[in-house]
Amino acid sequence: MKTLVFPSTPESVGLARLYRYDEWIVNRFMQYVPDVYTFLESLERDPPRYIRTNTLKIDSKKLKSKLLSKGFKLKETALEDVIAVEKALYSIGATTEYLLGYYYIQDLSSCFAVEALDIGKDQTVLDMASAPGGKTTFIAQKMENTGCLIAIEPNPKRVRSILYNIARCGVINTCVFTMDGRQVSNLNLKFDRVLLDAPCSGEGVIAKDNDRRTNHKPEDVEYCALIQRELIEAAIKVVKPGGLLVYSTCSFAPEENENIVNYLLDKFDIQIEPFQYGNDGLVNFGDFHFRQDLKNTKRFYPHLHKTLGFYIAKIRVNN
Amino acid sequence: MFRKACRQELTILRRAFNKWGVFDFFVEKTILIKEEYHKDTEVYLLSSGLELIILSRQPNYAGLKVGELKKNFLPSMEGADLIARVSKNFPHIIVNEIAERLILYGRSVLGQSIVGGTENLNENEIILLLNRNREPIGVGRTKFSGKYLFQIDIVTVTTLIDAGHYLRNEGQ
Ligand SMILES: C[S@@+](CC[C@H](N)C(=O)[O-])C[C@H]1O[C@@H](n2cnc3c(N)ncnc32)[C@H](O)[C@@H]1O
Repeated sequence: MKTLVFPSTPESVGLARLYRYDEWIVNRFMQYVPDVYTFLESLERDPPRYIRTNTLKIDSKKLKSKLLSKGFKLKETALEDVIAVEKALYSIGATTEYLLGYYYIQDLSSCFAVEALDIGKDQTVLDMASAPGGKTTFIAQKMENTGCLIAIEPNPKRVRSILYNIARCGVINTCVFTMDGRQVSNLNLKFDRVLLDAPCSGEGVIAKDNDRRTNHKPEDVEYCALIQRELIEAAIKVVKPGGLLVYSTCSFAPEENENIVNYLLDKFDIQIEPFQYGNDGLVNFGDFHFRQDLKNTKRFYPHLHKTLGFYIAKIRVNN
Repeated sequence: MFRKACRQELTILRRAFNKWGVFDFFVEKTILIKEEYHKDTEVYLLSSGLELIILSRQPNYAGLKVGELKKNFLPSMEGADLIARVSKNFPHIIVNEIAERLILYGRSVLGQSIVGGTENLNENEIILLLNRNREPIGVGRTKFSGKYLFQIDIVTVTTLIDAGHYLRNEGQ
């Protein structure tokens, strides 16, 4: 399916020039992002930094007091274990506390995706696109290191980063398969929870990389949407009846988000469950008209939620 | 290839866990051995829910590597972390802040930076390197025994592995 591109207008041309994007990108944002001017302006600033306490090793109170004594300025967030770092005297990726695995540097939006999984102890969980392991290690901590967590990643180089993070965070309940998520049924396992944090065009972090403002192409979105469809179909087939699949991306593109979940709704006996954070998913985008339940999926915008761009769908497989 | 430990390996492990003060901790735990051609035998700790899947499906990686089995058991950094959390009595030294930073860059320990630790350590003993908060920042081997560990301007403990090694080796 083709990525929607809209006829340019003087406003879209002007905004694109002002913020140094290709026009088609800004034009699409104008179709669905609330308060697009504030949105584009917020992308110009460094995104807030967050760390997630690794409660397998330390509790948040102790970690905060350690970091405060080192001159950090911290702020609470909507999630108990996630802390916003407003000021750090040294790189937050090189402190002794980091090396000891007391925290993981992770955007708040990523943590919401794990929150949506309703993880409990002793479950069987699949993380289907897992490197570098940010969500894997968060899931493991929510499982309190019990049960069985399977992490999949096809890229051997990226597998190394998962292994590092698993080791650093003291995770004992996880095994890693270097394989393509589309082949997951070969494992012959069914899961209580599946996370598909899908490979995506990365529009949600596009502003971080100046080059991408002009070399991001509609075909990137099409290419990713194709893989996402295949991955989500493979994912839903390994969820136990009554189990949950969380689909997430760090893209704003409806073709990679609502349209993928809409496709799944048409094909499988599933329900989209509500989730308390974020803005409602889209039900209209250009010529696309999605099912009303897509409102239950959630969009995260930097200017509204102080996160990177992100999308989350919480999908229940009916019994 | 992951497999269960054989009787001989279990004997070495039990003795080692006793030495490190983690015998009771490991009694109820699931341990597997990973053996690969041309590599040291590795010891993994895992949740009980994982054991069957690992043995039947042989994933590339699983659980937490707590150490290596040679003639004796050598704790990995993750094993050291576990020991420091669980054990009340294990061979160690405590180092000052300057040495802490240096150890995290892979450097060995000069005598003057040792500010405390187990008394009467032997020469060639494997020990944990702790910072002043008693957090494990490395595993080392003593080059001297007892009071000779405090000799000034001499490396008295060799750092074998440290908590910064992954970061330094990232991408390699
Ligand atoms: C958005 S990142 C995942 C981030 C990760 N969940 C975390 O929180 O740290 C997407 C990952 O999917 C991997 N990937 C790409 N194609 C895949 C496929 N066919 N099956 C599974 N994973 C894939 C990429 O290599 C990448 O590591």
